[in-house]
Amino acid sequence: MRHWIFSCKQISRLLSESMDRRLPLYKRMGIRFHLMMCVLCRRYRKQLLFIRSLLRQEGKAPEFSCHSLSEDARKRILDNLKKQQGEKK
Amino acid sequence: MGTRDNNEHEAVQWLDLYGDALYRFALVRVRHSFAAEDLVQETLLAGYCSYKNFSGKSSVKTWLFGILKHKVMDYYRKLPPEQGDENLDEFAATLETMFDAREKWKIQPGSWGNDPQNAYQQKELLAVIFACMDELPHRLSGMYRMRELEGATTGEICDRYQTKKSNCWVILHRARMLLRRCLEINWFDQAAKGK
Repeated sequence: MRHWIFSCKQISRLLSESMDRRLPLYKRMGIRFHLMMCVLCRRYRKQLLFIRSLLRQEGKAPEFSCHSLSEDARKRILDNLKKQQGEKK
Repeated sequence: MGTRDNNEHEAVQWLDLYGDALYRFALVRVRHSFAAEDLVQETLLAGYCSYKNFSGKSSVKTWLFGILKHKVMDYYRKLPPEQGDENLDEFAATLETMFDAREKWKIQPGSWGNDPQNAYQQKELLAVIFACMDELPHRLSGMYRMRELEGATTGEICDRYQTKKSNCWVILHRARMLLRRCLEINWFDQAAKGK
């Protein structure tokens, strides 16, 4: 039965891996079993998921930010575009 | 959408129409205004040069964002290599100290209390997260950003970095461990002291 008993160090790695792929059943069971007893690993998991949710949200909804291209940048890009077009002709 | 012949016009129009949106998208990801501006420029130039290959199946906007996405991922990947190995050693040491010989937590994850509720706090917190990402070894940071910000699959990430999947998972694990610790030290511990 010991093959699905994992240490905190192993669990920390499995928790991360479970965020990247579906783990085989015995590993999922091992995580569940460990988490029932270990408050620190429960915390660790919750915090990883929290950081992910913040970043995913940020990656998806940059519309919220009010930044825009500066006039300088706009002009520089425009110049470069025109230069490129000139070269193509 | 105009005809393919007058695409020079269009490239200039794209700047007006989508420039700001592209810029915001890039800025959120690279955090430096100059780098973001360069990415917008590269995207428009690439769009201009490959417009003849544009199938027209999606909107021009979607197509341009697709180009930008790839440019951003290349930006992560091409972050300059670290100065010497000192950094890497330091990070390896940090990872080692997290657990004791019996593989139990030595540096225990602290209680973070309530997740930050309001938008202002979240913004501050994100700033710390990004600062922490910049501190990570670049390879870790790049792969981590692709995964968590872009939602790229490990398959896509491995392709870009030409590494095995099992290696990807280990690297992402290290990045998460280090980033969480950095955030704890620089945000939650500070907040606790402030109380």
